[in-house]
Amino acid sequence: MGVRVGPPKKRDEGWFTSLYAAEYEHMVRYGLRRLADRDASAELAQEVFVVAWRRRAEVPERSLPWLYGVARRLLANQWRSRRAAPDLLSITDVDLERLAGSSGADTSVGVADIRTALANLNDLDQEILRLVGWEELTVSEAARVLGCTGPTAAVRLHRARRRLAEAMSDRPAQTRRSPVLMTIREDL
Amino acid sequence: MFGAERTRTLLGPADPARNAAVGPPLVSARELIDRADATETVAGRRRVRPTRRLVLTAGTLAVAAGAVAVLQPFGGPAPDAPGGPGTPAGLVLVPVAYQFDADPPAAGPQLRMLADKIKDAAYDHQSGRYMYHHTKVWGDPVMTSADGRHHVAFAGASKVWQAADGTGSQINTQLEPQYPDQASRDYWQRNLDSRPAVEGTPAPAMIPLPPEELRPPSAVPAELRELLKVEYGAGAASKEVSTLYGRYVVPRATRAAVLRVLADVPGFRWRGQVTDRAGRNGVAVTFDDREHDQQSLLVFDPRTGELLAHELLTLSPVRISSYQVILDTAWTDRVG
Repeated sequence: MGVRVGPPKKRDEGWFTSLYAAEYEHMVRYGLRRLADRDASAELAQEVFVVAWRRRAEVPERSLPWLYGVARRLLANQWRSRRAAPDLLSITDVDLERLAGSSGADTSVGVADIRTALANLNDLDQEILRLVGWEELTVSEAARVLGCTGPTAAVRLHRARRRLAEAMSDRPAQTRRSPVLMTIREDL
Repeated sequence: MFGAERTRTLLGPADPARNAAVGPPLVSARELIDRADATETVAGRRRVRPTRRLVLTAGTLAVAAGAVAVLQPFGGPAPDAPGGPGTPAGLVLVPVAYQFDADPPAAGPQLRMLADKIKDAAYDHQSGRYMYHHTKVWGDPVMTSADGRHHVAFAGASKVWQAADGTGSQINTQLEPQYPDQASRDYWQRNLDSRPAVEGTPAPAMIPLPPEELRPPSAVPAELRELLKVEYGAGAASKEVSTLYGRYVVPRATRAAVLRVLADVPGFRWRGQVTDRAGRNGVAVTFDDREHDQQSLLVFDPRTGELLAHELLTLSPVRISSYQVILDTAWTDRVG
């Protein structure tokens, strides 16, 4: 996660192989948090790196936010192209217990409350909370993924956290079933 | 800063991927580079976006020979598993994933390139009295609920041995029910009182075929255009190509001619690399018939130019209407 210094490396197969080895797992985890299936997450990760190779001249030294941005757009494109029989699921549909295993922490009431509350937020709120809370990006990095400015992302995070807190105190709230990543770039 | 740390502290324990083990990549970096380069150079200078659909989501794509690719519900049996008491009634079909899902290029140049490079198929070196075809079909007929919203059809396998005079034998086998969407599966699971006869299906009977005149397909373009009914458009041509490959053992020169004829039919779009329902690599073209809300899909073997599969889908919503997968084609002297 450290900042690399020095001139940009040559964008050859060796560079790409290193990038792939270093960031593949992050991409799969990104998919796991938004999809309901490991195979789909792995396929998403592959597509991200196909794009990364094709646009290798554009990949910044600190590549992870850029790669997340690609993954986000692939999923958004994917969703728009599906038109029917959605196979991208909202976070509420993800089999979280199956993904997270059966550790005590992940099955506690508090965790369930957080997940339920998160699922009640709109997609943009969910996404910035996930990027910061789960992908552990800084606010400015999340801004890069979302295609907005840092201050805008900061405000969005603040509001999203407030709405999350409200949702957590609003137990009877009905779980939303809208698909994840419905928001397209123009809406950001 | 800006609450980022507090956000992580709050949400971290709820991270569904936190304890998930991630296996090593199944595809090497070199393979991804090849994939990227291949998709970028298609259609000349055209830049094609990588928008393969992630059809594997929430399910298992069966790739075993003879199996169909399906969306397997959680907790369900393996695709094409033999039926048995308590077996969930069938599988939900998902569309074949296209390499070029959005903004696909015109198919003509790619079909001509394919025609120029195809190789011999195994049957090009065979001989025998009978043409043999092993196909799997779904969607004819489809049973629909009274409100018209829920559909089910049984997959069927067919093995046909047919001589030049039309005589021969055929074996039909009814397979599992399959559904175009999850809602249909849920509905028919609730409402299909008598479980379809997947379990205990009797041994399929050999049906003798009556004589009929079979004219081997010509490689002459004008005759082929007539045979494939191209004057009626790409939808009709797709259906006729499917019929042609389901009935005849098509020699290499004719296969190439078919591809060239299709290349000149307006409306076909190139969908690039696909995996068909039998798990085989193919290349695909589609024709969207907006007037009838229908898409025709043809999947060809990229090496031999054989037709592997033909499917019909509705466009809105995108849903499988029917498919035919040609699992095996051969010349043989033996029936059965």
